[in-house]
Amino acid sequence: MFVDFLITLVKILFILGVTVGFFAPVLTWVERKQSAIMQDRIGANRADILGFTAFGLFHIIADALKMFTKEDFIPRGANKVLHTLSPIVALIPALITFAVIPFGGIYTLFGKEVNLVISDLDVGLLFIFAVASIATYGYVIAGWSSNNNWSLLGSIRVAAQMISYEVTMGLTIIGVLMVYGTMRLTEIGAIQEDFWMWGIFLQPLGFFLFFAASIAENKRIPFDAPEAESELVAGYFTEYSGLKFGMFFMAEFVEMVTIGAIVTLLFFGGWHLPFVTMDGILSMFDFLGETGSNIVALLIHVGVFFAKVSFFIFFQMIVRWTLPRFRYDQIMKLGWKILLPLSLANILITGAVILALE
Amino acid sequence: MAYTVNRNVKLTFWERIYLPEIIRGMYITSRHFFINLFGFVPYFLGQKKEREIFTVYYPEEMVKYPVAYRGRPVLALNENNIPNCVACGLCEAACPAYCIDIDPAENTGKQNEVERWPKEFTIDYAVCIFCGNCEEACPEEAIFMSDDCEISMLDRSKMKYNLEQLLVPIDQLKDRVEFTRKMYAKWNY
Repeated sequence: MFVDFLITLVKILFILGVTVGFFAPVLTWVERKQSAIMQDRIGANRADILGFTAFGLFHIIADALKMFTKEDFIPRGANKVLHTLSPIVALIPALITFAVIPFGGIYTLFGKEVNLVISDLDVGLLFIFAVASIATYGYVIAGWSSNNNWSLLGSIRVAAQMISYEVTMGLTIIGVLMVYGTMRLTEIGAIQEDFWMWGIFLQPLGFFLFFAASIAENKRIPFDAPEAESELVAGYFTEYSGLKFGMFFMAEFVEMVTIGAIVTLLFFGGWHLPFVTMDGILSMFDFLGETGSNIVALLIHVGVFFAKVSFFIFFQMIVRWTLPRFRYDQIMKLGWKILLPLSLANILITGAVILALE
Repeated sequence: MAYTVNRNVKLTFWERIYLPEIIRGMYITSRHFFINLFGFVPYFLGQKKEREIFTVYYPEEMVKYPVAYRGRPVLALNENNIPNCVACGLCEAACPAYCIDIDPAENTGKQNEVERWPKEFTIDYAVCIFCGNCEEACPEEAIFMSDDCEISMLDRSKMKYNLEQLLVPIDQLKDRVEFTRKMYAKWNY
């Protein structure tokens, strides 16, 4: 009983440490530095401790200090309660989704089975979509409660964009569900131990649709009409400063990690290396004993999972620094006239193929 | 020369489906990313002097200015540690911004002394417009435009440089001396 509690606590601390403690701050640095190098610049390198700049890594600390010490400003006429509440509503769902995302398989450590997921829900996939959609309320409330025209326009755009792309996302997932026949994310991961069962081979169109829709859900360029700094100042978080702004910022980066994790899990084999099965690793490290070989397998799988997640974050960054922003009508046209029919066609084709194979 | 932009470009089918063009764009940006990223490696290992990125870390690294660059005007100190200047006042007269102020001194009959020299020579860089007329007017090769452009100060009064601050050994100005000789010899006054 106590051991179970301890294991869960370790898992929670690990996932929080990786997302909030590692990915969110480091991604602020990666975004600046990668964009700079991509555009033949050098990028952030001025913050230094005793003359060491460490490629600008100390900018993370500088940013954090700046956010903590800034004035927490609430504009006149703003709804104070909602204005304070909305960053929390935006950030928390992004963190909660990690409760059901498995970052490894099932391992036997010291005679105890450890499942590397905090909560192994039957409806894990559904849970992610349900919770992630709550974050939209945070953005809409943020724009409305700020008493600012730009913010309101931004939040209206958020609402419209979320509704449009949530549909595509949901319909794309149906294709994945039809192929794997389960909503439990650990099972979806376990099925993909076989390389040719990876989602990218079974649902190639689904991957592109899902990826496009999830970037739109995260409101990053090219779908950043809600922020649109050249049109709407900063969109829904124009009136935010200090740590509240930081929470919106962090929510965006944590959501990037979430997207990377879901895409990895559904389409790129989760924690599995291609052509390497769990039994293969166990037999290869047989000389370490049962627990030892299991620990090796655990380390390899967690490493592989986060390597894949990092790759997809990198991919999102490339997209963000390559493509220009869509116009608002183009976003709507793309969502309703192209992605939605394509996702419906995807379901149809998937169903026909499954029927033909039976 | 006016030119018109054709706003009715007919996109081909390949361009209209958009995805291939996205991939092409991403190929270009990621190619830049990887070339620049791995361009850093030989630089940090010390095998190569230059990075792939040509941006300069400014205060630590400096760009070599071309010899024709007009930085702050300085006074040349010749091999005998005496300023070339004879305090004739031609630069003062040529200066369109009136930033030069000369206080001359003359030989009082002593041996081994130059005929005429500036007792005090002041250039106010807050007023100077870096036109180079003083250099052109100088008959004695005494005042030159250096390649130093870092003269920003927090206090205007500190931008008034006196004789000691202005003097620079002529060795450091060799290129500029050559350049002025070549340049002004061409023009027949």
